[in-house]
Amino acid sequence: MGNLFGKKKVSRVTEHDKAVLQVKQQRDKVKQYQQRVEAKLEGDRQLAKKLLLSGQRDRAKLLLKKKRYQESLLERTEGQLENLERLIQDLEYAQVELKVVEGLKFGNDALKKLNDVLDIDEIERILEETNEGAEKQQEINALLSGNLSVEDLEDVEREYNELLEMEEAEKNGELKLPDVPPNEPFMQSRDVSPKEIKKEKHLDYCGLLPLSCYLLVRYLFLTTQFEGIKNSLKILNVTD
Amino acid sequence: MTTFEDWPWQYSFPPFFTVQPNLQTRKIQLAAWCDLVLKYHKANNLYVLDIREAQGSPLFHNVDISRKLSIEGISEVMNEMHRRHNAEPLDKTKNRWHVLWHTLDEWAAILYSWADDTGQLGGVCTFYEIANTSGKEFSGIDQDVLLKALRKLEQRKKAEIIHLDDGNGVKFF
Repeated sequence: MGNLFGKKKVSRVTEHDKAVLQVKQQRDKVKQYQQRVEAKLEGDRQLAKKLLLSGQRDRAKLLLKKKRYQESLLERTEGQLENLERLIQDLEYAQVELKVVEGLKFGNDALKKLNDVLDIDEIERILEETNEGAEKQQEINALLSGNLSVEDLEDVEREYNELLEMEEAEKNGELKLPDVPPNEPFMQSRDVSPKEIKKEKHLDYCGLLPLSCYLLVRYLFLTTQFEGIKNSLKILNVTD
Repeated sequence: MTTFEDWPWQYSFPPFFTVQPNLQTRKIQLAAWCDLVLKYHKANNLYVLDIREAQGSPLFHNVDISRKLSIEGISEVMNEMHRRHNAEPLDKTKNRWHVLWHTLDEWAAILYSWADDTGQLGGVCTFYEIANTSGKEFSGIDQDVLLKALRKLEQRKKAEIIHLDDGNGVKFF
């Protein structure tokens, strides 16, 4: 049965629209009436002029009285027109307000739905789980870093300090020289300059051997000399 | 009194007022007539043409060269305009015509863009209100032409015409 008359067109015109339209129509009618009266007034004025010119003063006066009355009517319609316009504005504004309320309602509903989804207990549970996860992560971290021995950690610390020092030296623009080995046997005092240390070292290692050689040769030479003198004395028959 | 200054050169050319037998020539002649009729009606804000009365108008009667277009000639011009969607017969005898210097689709577009620009979408207005909007192309538009144009919008679901006891209104969407 529903298809018998085809699709029934759903009118999008509401009762409100019809009411507004009716008011507007009244307004149009008042406007038309005004136009009519204005046209009549103009005609009457021309006619009164003509009557005055032709000397019919009484008729002209009568006409002007009529005109005056119509003018007062026109003023009254002006007031009515204003009322109608205001009514139209109010109706249109009410429509706007309705839309605003509708919008608020939709927004409220949407918010409610969202709030329903977000249950407080659920949120607490989720937060708790998050905390647990974080704790677990920390535990794992502790376990993993605990695998390094104390020496390892010290090494790490030392290397870190070295790097820091190097960094500092570079910053000060100094040439980084290697440290003097701290376990040199005769390196007793700290205030010996490196040059002196070098000299001493030379004496120690390079000077000792030639000195001993020299002493030996000298000794041999002296002994042979002494022997020679002894022999020559013998030749000379000199006895001591 | 109607005033129109923009007469084309053909208007003072006597053969223009006789329907030409040569098909090619007649085609050009009719095109010139259509153009003139539309311009004339637009300039004078006229919407309805009655063929029986048209001979009296300066449009089809050039007093200076004492030539007038025959009723058959006017009829032919109107039929040509109908083919171009610039005219629509008001009765079956095709005596009265709506002259549409904007086609109905163009009118519909003009009205809709006006409604859009003035924030009337979703609101209602009376036909009187539309026709009495000053300073627009549709100021003083014929109520029937307006109705036809708005029906085009109704077909496209951009408007709905509301019939009340006295006078019509329209709601734009």
